Amino acid sequence: MTCESAQELIDMASPSTPELAEHLESCPDCRKMQEEIMVLRNIVHEQAPYHRAPASLKRRILAQTRGPRPVPWNWLALAASVLLVASIAGNVALLRSRVSPKQLLAANLISAHVRSLAGTHLIDVPSSDRHTVKPWFNGKLDFSPDVKDLASDGFPLAGGRLEYFEGHPAAALVFERRKHVINLFTWPSPAAEQRTEASSKGYHLICWTQSAIKYCAVSDVNEAELRQFVELYQK
Amino acid sequence: MSAATVQMDPAQQRLSFEQTVLPHLDAAYNLARWLTRNNQDAEDVVQEAYLRAFRFFDGFRGGDGRAWLLAVVRNTCFSWLRERGRKETIEFDEHVHGETAAEPTPEITLLRKATLGAITDCMNGLPLEYREAFVLREQEDMSYKEISEIAGVPIGTVMSRLSRARKRLQSCLQLKGGFSQ
Repeated sequence: MTCESAQELIDMASPSTPELAEHLESCPDCRKMQEEIMVLRNIVHEQAPYHRAPASLKRRILAQTRGPRPVPWNWLALAASVLLVASIAGNVALLRSRVSPKQLLAANLISAHVRSLAGTHLIDVPSSDRHTVKPWFNGKLDFSPDVKDLASDGFPLAGGRLEYFEGHPAAALVFERRKHVINLFTWPSPAAEQRTEASSKGYHLICWTQSAIKYCAVSDVNEAELRQFVELYQK
Repeated sequence: MSAATVQMDPAQQRLSFEQTVLPHLDAAYNLARWLTRNNQDAEDVVQEAYLRAFRFFDGFRGGDGRAWLLAVVRNTCFSWLRERGRKETIEFDEHVHGETAAEPTPEITLLRKATLGAITDCMNGLPLEYREAFVLREQEDMSYKEISEIAGVPIGTVMSRLSRARKRLQSCLQLKGGFSQ
């Protein structure tokens, strides 16, 4: 018997055969392997988590397959509904303390971005002039957002609208990048946080805090371009 | 020419799909969770995998629904990770994975002393393909042949991945066990 076939028999925990016993008798390597496999297997069975699917996932899947047969998608609507469902699932999950507030916020920000594109409500104040956009928020927010125009760097300002995050009215500043849209959400946040990045379903998210104001940029532009945008904005 | 094959009506097909693959949701999630190492990604991947499985269910010709589903989940995971440019760095740490010292260590004793949670860290530190083979073998109790079909590699490759995975885990656990003393 070869060591290879012995390994398979040992690994599959097959009942011992005279051939295997004989091989083990004469092969210290395979004896050592047998012991290692069994010890490791015990540790895995006793200590490694087996991740069971959350109930919300089963509901999402059933909703998907029991809906109309999914062939001709409107991809944006799909993305919006998936994210909306993810966001609702995220809320349910938060109650069970399974998703961190950070993950939940990320899901909400991406949902807000997708909603802004899927609907008709992308911009409340359409203007490429920051001196028009910034004053528009006066009286609507309890802070004054930092509005920059990065047109010379290829990120022209398109306007702004109101949003609501983490219990705060928030400004959404809308920038364009070729055919893409970048939503820059901003609201006051006392906690100084490190810059964080996240991605989900092809959307990228970068958040940072500056002078007690939180900024989160969301877009489907590639990560490098979104980083470039953020770096320009931080200057 | 119209399709000559007998088509199941959609309700029947949905029922058959649900009976075949829905019971394996935990297995699908567990695999995706170990491969993505993240709850949210695992949920998204599994949902996408079920959507794909539903679309391609016509192609399922009976047999083991779990193996068929896990192959779809695995492929969805790999393309998901690839699309997001998450290069799997083979976490090679000289202290953990380097050649073991010439002096024979009481490996088994140290393995038994592995701290709780160490096995999770060590498994998460495995290269993606090793982690996949190991989870399918140890948590799904799949044969070499089934793993080779799911991963799309020869049986010999499965064996060497498992063997390397175990060696790495052993070194990793030894190190953690050693530190816990």
